[in-house]
Amino acid sequence: MSPTHELARLIEVESLWEKSLDLPRNTYLKVSGSIDRNLYYVEEGSLRMFVIREFEEHTIRFAYTGNFFAALDSFITGQPSDLYIQTIRRTQLKVLSRSRFMEVVQQSPEYSAIWTRILELVVVQQLEREQDILTTSPAERYERVMQRSPQLFQEIPHKYIASYLRMTPETLSRIKKS
Amino acid sequence: MRAETLIADLIDRTRANMNRAEALRQLPLSALNARTAPERWSALECIEHLNRYGRFYLPEIEQRMKASRHPASPDFRSGWLGNYFAKALAPKEKLNHMKTFSTMDPKGSALDAGVLDVFLQQQQQMLLLLDRARRTDLSRVRTAVSFMPLLRLRLGDTFRVVIYHNERHLGQAEREAAGLAHERSLAGNAQ
Repeated sequence: MSPTHELARLIEVESLWEKSLDLPRNTYLKVSGSIDRNLYYVEEGSLRMFVIREFEEHTIRFAYTGNFFAALDSFITGQPSDLYIQTIRRTQLKVLSRSRFMEVVQQSPEYSAIWTRILELVVVQQLEREQDILTTSPAERYERVMQRSPQLFQEIPHKYIASYLRMTPETLSRIKKS
Repeated sequence: MRAETLIADLIDRTRANMNRAEALRQLPLSALNARTAPERWSALECIEHLNRYGRFYLPEIEQRMKASRHPASPDFRSGWLGNYFAKALAPKEKLNHMKTFSTMDPKGSALDAGVLDVFLQQQQQMLLLLDRARRTDLSRVRTAVSFMPLLRLRLGDTFRVVIYHNERHLGQAEREAAGLAHERSLAGNAQ
């Protein structure tokens, strides 16, 4: 069982969830300048995280059905962050506050081990992502992401994939065809 | 009050306003252009009215903050006039009818859903300014007001006026757009 599944199961069994949200498509869950210290679980749906620089959106990552996500910078520091989080389609979420979650993590070695494992995976993913961005050739960037997460291309609209890959939608179409 | 409390509240109101604009964007253009009476504004005219305010206030706020030498202050005190305007413009149960100024009257302009994109872009700009305002003094930095030359409002009050005013007319836009849906369903039943 993956650490994500294990964590979801534990939280469910101990009914730790504090809230459920049912959001229409294009809903902003978090905007730039706000603090968000919640841990979210996607029951159904998909979301994108992005920042805006010079009036342009830059996609950082996505969350799909069965994923945990958080505005990790704000979640850890308690400070406002530039991150926007928006639903791509109608999305059902479960919500747990950091304070409640951390209480449990500190009391239970089982939780603590799973949480450490998840954070380790996030660090590895971030390193992969850093290398994506440093890859100059658009075709190679596409290949790397295709290998790593084929799910992305099934669930996420073309224009957001293009933004994630740092290329125009036209370039992405061309690469897909060749 | 604590400046951070106000800023966090205004950021969350702006987030809610953006979600309301996104919801309006899901509606057909016919609903966005409909009005419940000839003299009333359509949903898109309501949003265009807000965009005109934004075109005045966003650059005004940005320039006043840039020019300010005041250090950041953890506190904000509302001015009596600023507080009066903020409260007058906020949405209420029973809306007090107000007259607008001719330059802010969108009636009769040719409008499409792009008006909502402009509104959303303005809100992104608003969020940037609200975050920057954490490093300034919300009481001592002052801005001009679109409707009264010579008058200056405290920056914290200016933010409140603009954001509460957005809430007010988003409500109006939602009611106008829903008015058509209601008539439609009645027409559907009659057939």
